[in-house]
Amino acid sequence: MDRTQSLGKDEEPTAAACRHLVHVKQTGESYDCAESETLLQGMVRLGRKGIPVGCVNGGCGVCKISVRVGSVRKVGAMSRAHVSAEEEARGVCLACRVSPLQGVEVEVVGKLQKALGYQWGAGASSRSGPAGETNQSKET
Amino acid sequence: MTVMRIGHVSIKVMDVAAAVKHYENVLGMKTTMQDKHGNVYLKCWDEWDKYSVILTPSDQAGFNHMAYKVKSDADLDVLKLKIEASGVKTKVLREGTLPSTGRMLQFTLPSGHEMRLYAMKECVGTEVGSTNPDPWPDNIKGAGAHWLDHVLLMCPFDPGQGINKVAENTQFFIDVLGFFQTEQITVGPGGAFQLASFVSCSSKPHDIAFVGGPTAGLHHISFFLDSWHDILKAGDVMAKNKVRIDVAPTRHGLTRGETIYFFDPSGNRNETFAGLGYQAQPDRPVTTWTEDQAARGIFYHTGVLPGSFTEVYT
Repeated sequence: MDRTQSLGKDEEPTAAACRHLVHVKQTGESYDCAESETLLQGMVRLGRKGIPVGCVNGGCGVCKISVRVGSVRKVGAMSRAHVSAEEEARGVCLACRVSPLQGVEVEVVGKLQKALGYQWGAGASSRSGPAGETNQSKET
Repeated sequence: MTVMRIGHVSIKVMDVAAAVKHYENVLGMKTTMQDKHGNVYLKCWDEWDKYSVILTPSDQAGFNHMAYKVKSDADLDVLKLKIEASGVKTKVLREGTLPSTGRMLQFTLPSGHEMRLYAMKECVGTEVGSTNPDPWPDNIKGAGAHWLDHVLLMCPFDPGQGINKVAENTQFFIDVLGFFQTEQITVGPGGAFQLASFVSCSSKPHDIAFVGGPTAGLHHISFFLDSWHDILKAGDVMAKNKVRIDVAPTRHGLTRGETIYFFDPSGNRNETFAGLGYQAQPDRPVTTWTEDQAARGIFYHTGVLPGSFTEVYT
């Protein structure tokens, strides 16, 4: 069975049926993604690669992308530690938090280092986010 | 040893309602309090103090602070002197800074994480009570986690630059807070660098763990389950709730713990951890995992370390 045709019972039939081609600039990968899922969910569900996969919940920032062509819809909160308001305004986002509204071309901005063994920690600057531009939570 | 156990962890979440639903329905915690700032306090069924997790609304995910409970209020004064003698500044937060909680000693670890010590938190009892208790209550949701077991902190590690906050934290916990080391991963020439360190203040294989990474952060907060079967059931609960699972049920070489890694709705990594592995004691020889077997130490069955393990955290 073609898994792309199987719709979950809770999914909105129209949005689920509405599919768009996602093209990852660096790797040349393309895959079909429904409007009812995020760019990252669509990729992971098909077992495809191209965008780094982390928490898939908007917190870790490894799936940071820049939307070069086409438009997307934001479906959840993205950590301000990884995407600043200014970045968001110019199309930088987390692939796990946006759904396609039309065919899109994205460029991977986040970088998942292949850091293993003693190389853990090599490249200490790779996770630098827009520090400072964050709201302090009222934590006591 | 006056530090008894982890008392709570405070984490940032981007959607409080979604987070509460996750910690209640997936982990099986119960909300016990909310404060005027919108912070939510939860506890597990087998815990007797009022809360072990604080969820604070934020525009990002990650760690606020962790707090460990000491045996008596006087211990705080003794530890204040010891901590300051080690060159670390402390601040006393007066009783009531956190609701239902006594005064807290606040300081920053070498890794940059905020830690607090306290002696008093309102005791509300476990769900089964303390008189002729049943082994488990009937009103458990989800995985039914027993207690917040430990946290793993990512600590700056770059030996080329002479930075190893894993080793510095370990030394601080041993020399100042009275913990002992149970296990470590060593790397580099002759195993010169401590890349991961597990330390205990009880008879558990770890009460906190430190792993080296590019930046400081929260790798995961871990919740205790009884058995391998409970881990399997927790996996089912996660699937039912469409939780993003990071690492499917497996066993750690380190600590011998049985595990699932998964993410809360803001991307903070959680673990359900089963099995007490062995009885940790201060005189038990420290277990060392060498660089070539580090992946086996972390994921015992596959011996493979996913690239995301040290890079994905909040």
